[in-house]
Amino acid sequence: MTMAPETQPNGVASPPATIEAVNVSRWYGNVVAVNDVSFSLGPGITGLLGPNGAGKSTILHMAAGFLRPSEGTVRIDGEQAWQNPEMYANVGFVPEKEAVYSFLTGYQFVLLNAKLYGLSDPDGASRRAIRAVSMEAAQDRRLGGYSKGMKQRLKIAAAIVHDPQILLLDEPFNGTDPAQRLQMMDQLRRMADEGRTIVFSSHILDEVERLARNVLVIVAGRLVASGDFRAIRRLMTDRPHTFTVQSSDDRRLAVALVADESVFGVELGDEHLTVRTSQFADFTRAAPRIARAEGITIQELLPTDESLESVFSYLVKR
Amino acid sequence: MNEAIFALTLRQFAGQRRSLLLVGLALIPVALAVIFRLGEHLDQQEETANFLADIIVTAILPLACLIIGTSALGSEIEDGTAVYILAKPVPRRAIIAAKFAASVLIAAAFVVPATVVSGLIGLQGVPNEGIVAGFTIAVLVGVFAYTAVFILLSVATSRALLIGLAYVFIWEGLITELFSGTRYLSIRQYCLGIADSIASVSTQDFEASLGGPEAFLLAAGVAATAVFLAVRRLESFELTETD
Amino acid sequence: MTPVADAPAGAIYDIGYQRYEGARLGRRHAIWALYIHSLRSVFGIGRSLSSKVGPMGLAVIAFIPAIVRLGISAIVPEEIAPEEIGLFRPEGYYVMIEIVLAIFCAVVAPELVGRDQRTQTLTLYFSRALRRQDYALAKFAALTTGMLAITAIPQIMMFTGNSLAANNFFDYLQDKWTDLPAILGSAILLSCLISSISLVIAAQMPRRAYSTVGIIAAFLLTSIIAASIFEVVDQNIGRFVLLFSPFEVLEGLTLWFFDVAPDPDSQLAVANLPGAVYAIDAVLVTLLMLALLFRRYEKISP
Repeated sequence: MTMAPETQPNGVASPPATIEAVNVSRWYGNVVAVNDVSFSLGPGITGLLGPNGAGKSTILHMAAGFLRPSEGTVRIDGEQAWQNPEMYANVGFVPEKEAVYSFLTGYQFVLLNAKLYGLSDPDGASRRAIRAVSMEAAQDRRLGGYSKGMKQRLKIAAAIVHDPQILLLDEPFNGTDPAQRLQMMDQLRRMADEGRTIVFSSHILDEVERLARNVLVIVAGRLVASGDFRAIRRLMTDRPHTFTVQSSDDRRLAVALVADESVFGVELGDEHLTVRTSQFADFTRAAPRIARAEGITIQELLPTDESLESVFSYLVKR
Repeated sequence: MNEAIFALTLRQFAGQRRSLLLVGLALIPVALAVIFRLGEHLDQQEETANFLADIIVTAILPLACLIIGTSALGSEIEDGTAVYILAKPVPRRAIIAAKFAASVLIAAAFVVPATVVSGLIGLQGVPNEGIVAGFTIAVLVGVFAYTAVFILLSVATSRALLIGLAYVFIWEGLITELFSGTRYLSIRQYCLGIADSIASVSTQDFEASLGGPEAFLLAAGVAATAVFLAVRRLESFELTETD
Repeated sequence: MTPVADAPAGAIYDIGYQRYEGARLGRRHAIWALYIHSLRSVFGIGRSLSSKVGPMGLAVIAFIPAIVRLGISAIVPEEIAPEEIGLFRPEGYYVMIEIVLAIFCAVVAPELVGRDQRTQTLTLYFSRALRRQDYALAKFAALTTGMLAITAIPQIMMFTGNSLAANNFFDYLQDKWTDLPAILGSAILLSCLISSISLVIAAQMPRRAYSTVGIIAAFLLTSIIAASIFEVVDQNIGRFVLLFSPFEVLEGLTLWFFDVAPDPDSQLAVANLPGAVYAIDAVLVTLLMLALLFRRYEKISP
């Protein structure tokens, strides 16, 4: 990701906003919620992925300075997050809870947040934030009458009203319909393209896969994988990978491939071959070589299970 | 103090149907004072002073402060909206100051007129002798002390109401009656002490066991300590998504 | 080369989910289950430690006089005749702990009914075999049972203590056995009265701070109001004013059950109503409160 300094309100380039966790643990009584987690995040969108109860929310709350790590530290832009309210000038947080001040209108709620951030033009900032989530039409209605998805978008407006470099969102897509979800994802992508650091938690793979290139996978309080999810996938060489191959002569290619030591299974379908291999990298090098030797043209070679779903279910079920 | 939080807190109480309970609490002593005036009285001043002590100081004042003090910040902590004021670059002392100021204002708006009006009704036709002034000042001091303590309870524990009730009715109501040594830890006794020292009625059987200046200093000390501790507590307040 | 399997395009696998095929126990069992669940939550059983502190602490306070009495009879059995200490007279016990009972209800009733409204779980109850009145009835029964536990049990403990402290155990029983029905009868009536009033208030105001203070105010202020009106109005009408104060009714019916005359200085003595009036009043108020409670749950949109 590149920075886009011109989008900052003061027009001055600042160093990339970062979130850093060093050996962070957190326990409640004798229940360990987060166990020795370390990571470092910069600009772009990071998905915090894990099943319910894995500790995602606890990690986000520690990053947002709402929980004291039992051990280790979480730093936002190099400063400790816990007991540091000044940092909120540069951080927006979208809680999972639906509760809002139901007696306020949408506009009043965002305006309240703008004032609490100490903005010099709270009215203008509120209108911009409401426009960014396309909630102008409902802004003068009371929050008590909003649907879940509308509340969710308005909560995001409230969290971005001060144009923060860091945005933390706890299960932001809960209760949103597919259209709202797409719209919110576009919004987050735009904000990430402007050089912001965005972290969101989710237990739904599809959301994380569509939005985040960088993932942190949390299972039972431990960080089990982090980084680009394709890279994570490639690291797991001890597990079979499946490719679909289309070529000028599938039957002949199948015979040739099955002789290679990186391949341990081939299925011939009506339109393509399905190849199973234990070595991702070896196979991607071997396949073109074998095809060339046989005089076959490969039209398409796709990894079929290169989805976060398989990464995730593999990690979770271990 | 933070003006936005102050205004928000006033909004949380104003225009809510449940605030009618507070209106009811304020109207009860006035209605009782009217009933009181209908009866025959040997010593109207003494009986009015007793009336103000028994009904306003021991019941209406702590109950109104209990509702307002424990829900000013406590209801936001309970329903999860506290995150919107905590995730802001606002010093914690400014949050407590705004909540405290708004609570005091609201509680005083209900209890002080109730005291003045019921006192004036009770004393109608006889010299005032500083009774109304004494109780008004006492109640105002009580509002500061009680709300400060109840706000502290609401940030320090999830059982603020229970502890508040037990403090008012078991500690101040039963234990302080039995063991007079505990009067130094009773806001009710501070209020009675202040009222007693200002009102110049010779025979009063509400038995203020504390002198006026002493009571005022104790009340101020309790309020200041409670506010200070509430700020300290909020500075290390942990906010979770779980209930 | 691996042959291509001619597997079907899609399949639903039986992974062992089972339909419930046992008996459906129906409405009566649902009421019973809700009653047991509510009774447990009256004392915070099955909830977090901090939910136990309130009800358990208040229950302990309600037991203190009985425990002290038992302690005295264990240490100095012959020194003090039980009747000589006013504190340990059974007809005074409920009056002595009435404020504790009120705080107990003020703390418990909002948890019992307010929580379901705040968290919007009423709809889950109403979509079961339960009818709306059943919900109200189960909650009322649970709170009343909880109240009975902290009123009748210490009294029975104290009765036991008094009888053990008496010179002759059997003479005491022969003399005082009528205390037992009085203990139970008055405990049942006052528990019904206090819990029904508390539940009506708690069901109206789901916010905890408001319902708790509302319940306390209902007990405390009504007795102040009734006493003030009593002072000023004509005695022929004024004597009935006391019937609007739960605490006066509590005292009146207890004295009637124990067949003891009220303290001559008290308003009860001045009012000089037949004791049975207070008992009847308690029953009528309870029924009225239950009717209000049923109405509330018929109208409420979960």
